[in-house]
Amino acid sequence: MNIFWQILFLTLAAPLLASCTPVAAWERGTLASPEMALDPSPLDTALGNHIYFSKEAASGGNSASGGGCGCN
Amino acid sequence: MKSRALLAFTASALALPGLTAQVRADAAPTQSVVSYQLSAYQEDDLAGQYRVAGSSKRYDINIQQLRLLMPVGETYSLTLNSSLESMSGASPWYAIRRANGSTGIVMSGATISEERRDFIAAGRKYLPNGTLGLNLAVSEENDYSSLSGGFDAERHFNDNLTTLTGGLGYASDELQPSDAKLFGRVAQANKHSTSVFLSVSQILNRSSVIQTSLSITHLSGYLNDPYKLGDIRPDVRTQTAWTTAWRKYIDGMDAALHVDYRFFHDTFGIDSNTLDLNWYQNVGENLQLIPGLRYYSQSAADFFSPTINFAGGQALQSTDYRLSAYGAVSGSLKVQWEVEDFTLSLAAERYRANADYAVNDGPVSPALVTFNRYSLGLDYKF
Repeated sequence: MNIFWQILFLTLAAPLLASCTPVAAWERGTLASPEMALDPSPLDTALGNHIYFSKEAASGGNSASGGGCGCN
Repeated sequence: MKSRALLAFTASALALPGLTAQVRADAAPTQSVVSYQLSAYQEDDLAGQYRVAGSSKRYDINIQQLRLLMPVGETYSLTLNSSLESMSGASPWYAIRRANGSTGIVMSGATISEERRDFIAAGRKYLPNGTLGLNLAVSEENDYSSLSGGFDAERHFNDNLTTLTGGLGYASDELQPSDAKLFGRVAQANKHSTSVFLSVSQILNRSSVIQTSLSITHLSGYLNDPYKLGDIRPDVRTQTAWTTAWRKYIDGMDAALHVDYRFFHDTFGIDSNTLDLNWYQNVGENLQLIPGLRYYSQSAADFFSPTINFAGGQALQSTDYRLSAYGAVSGSLKVQWEVEDFTLSLAAERYRANADYAVNDGPVSPALVTFNRYSLGLDYKF
């Protein structure tokens, strides 16, 4: 199995393999708090992506980060 | 003058909307939020023993960001983002092997000053069981322009415990390097990228959620860095990134732990691992402290060479430090203070790249970068 299929398998299987428990709608107050957001600060995320993009070879897999980059 | 080694990556980032989708049933925002952030970061000077020629003073960069999120009717939202980036300093031009066998870096000469502006508009439609999103972006510099767009859709399942998100994106970029005749650079070139992503989010229990995503980006066209001497790269590149984000609320401490991991692989031969840890600590009602630690490691590109081979002809090669094997560690601290409808934030980060931090062995550049970053931000809800 090449690396593509390994990654695809892990991507799709990870949540299913995790131990999930039923959570009723009224029990999701904590999950709705700002600090539990997947991206609590879009500006910080965009900034970080942009800076790391200009310094490192790897990128992607995160939120949109702005236009053509001033890599230096 | 600036390097353009990895410009195409931005296109992939632009083409990956929606990965920040919430894991619970979304509702259109009821309030508008305007955010402004001013950031400055300074790269440390190149160590004196490596400099052969040019300026050892590397880039100082200031970035201003402005963001507006607003509801449109009851089932739509609009997000507008704009940023202005100004930079000055020198960057590595190429690397040579010196008579004593050591590696020397030839830096660009005079201090360069330049600006970049970008604008992103994103709209979202909220449906009973999901959302649809569309985004368009443009970025302009004196020697580079980018136009991109993307579409994403998310669907909630399983009593809104599970969310499946997918998206497509495309970007078209044009380079017009400055001083092309003087330095023998390409006068004009284009690159294109197409990307696709798939993401699954799952509420695990009352205090934790997980999201895992796979994105694939295909780049084609002129992928060389025109500002690096002798930089010849393949004209196609396929990147695969697998990311997983886990959020856990710690009841007894009124805090949340964020764990983000990314594995990256591309057809340049680069493998990379990134682990990002952040701790969101609430202090009272209005204050939040967010210390963070990030680790990054990458292997070298197949064609990376620590020093330039002037007899290489048209063979693939690059001395760009960003294609070297190395690792990087950064530590950060952010403080957020909420006063009624305003939120003020202050952040600082120290980033240090070093060959010794790398997971993989491989050829290394001495031009690895270290920098400090400071940010000041203000949000206002209305």
